[in-house]
Amino acid sequence: MTDPTEFERRAREVLEESTARLPGHTRSRLTQARHAALAQLENPARNWWRSYVPAGAAAAVAVLAVVIWSGPTQPVASPVEDMEILADADAPDFAEDGEDLEFYEWAAGEVES
Amino acid sequence: MTAFVTLAGVYNMPNFGVERSRDQDLMTTSRALDQFLSSVERRAFKIAQLGLRNDDDALDAVQDAMMKLVQSYASRPVDEWRPLFYRILANGIRDMQRRRTVRGRIMAWLPGHDSDDDEEFDPIAQAPSHDAGPAKRLELDEAIGALEIAVAELPPRQQQAFLLRNFEGLDVNETASAMGCSEGSVKTHYFRALENLRARLGDVF
Repeated sequence: MTDPTEFERRAREVLEESTARLPGHTRSRLTQARHAALAQLENPARNWWRSYVPAGAAAAVAVLAVVIWSGPTQPVASPVEDMEILADADAPDFAEDGEDLEFYEWAAGEVES
Repeated sequence: MTAFVTLAGVYNMPNFGVERSRDQDLMTTSRALDQFLSSVERRAFKIAQLGLRNDDDALDAVQDAMMKLVQSYASRPVDEWRPLFYRILANGIRDMQRRRTVRGRIMAWLPGHDSDDDEEFDPIAQAPSHDAGPAKRLELDEAIGALEIAVAELPPRQQQAFLLRNFEGLDVNETASAMGCSEGSVKTHYFRALENLRARLGDVF
């Protein structure tokens, strides 16, 4: 059986040879990829927006805070006012029905007599 | 909006001494990165090729790893670049493998899908053919084909450990960093990879 160290050496040799045989178009694409990656470093202006992201985020948070804390512009009835409105709605409005009012006045008179 | 004004002010201040120093640092880093990436790009491609079994995917994985290293880790010490780069590459390979698995499951349900249409890595087909040539070269061709098939079929973690330790030459600590695991795990994966490969390639090697 092959010694592990000898096997490892042989395996590495074979892989190195395989790598050395990479076709020209593959090597060319790898070179292009490397240059494209390095271009990010050499052209920081491309990533100018990265510098403003924190400030932009802070500005966005400030605007959101203003929207939240400024509150709604339309008046909203308070719960107390709501109850008064409901209470008024439940109360009978005799003024709207004159005929019933005359009847109740007659009935009250009959009761008293 | 005050923050915009502040940053704009910083960048607009005339300070030529600082700018020249910054440019020099940038050039130094750029040269160092260029040297590093050119030293690893071919082996990185081979590692990605064995993991993904597809040349185009392997090229994409290597380019992504280069981009991310430059974007996020250019300012780190030079001796950290190698394990960082291979960590990024390993993550990219794993993500592609997972996407491919999901895509394969979805495609399998579609009518008319022919799995034979999928590109497959065939090291034998890609090995240079020699109708006649030195016996040594032919022997090497066979060894390359057999080894690449065997390595490509290793479980992912064993494959990573073997390629990073044996092929790329990272030490145990660097390999653990690249794989995101303990040194003990690296040793276990590597040992098992060797055992698997020796069992398959004992006659060839």
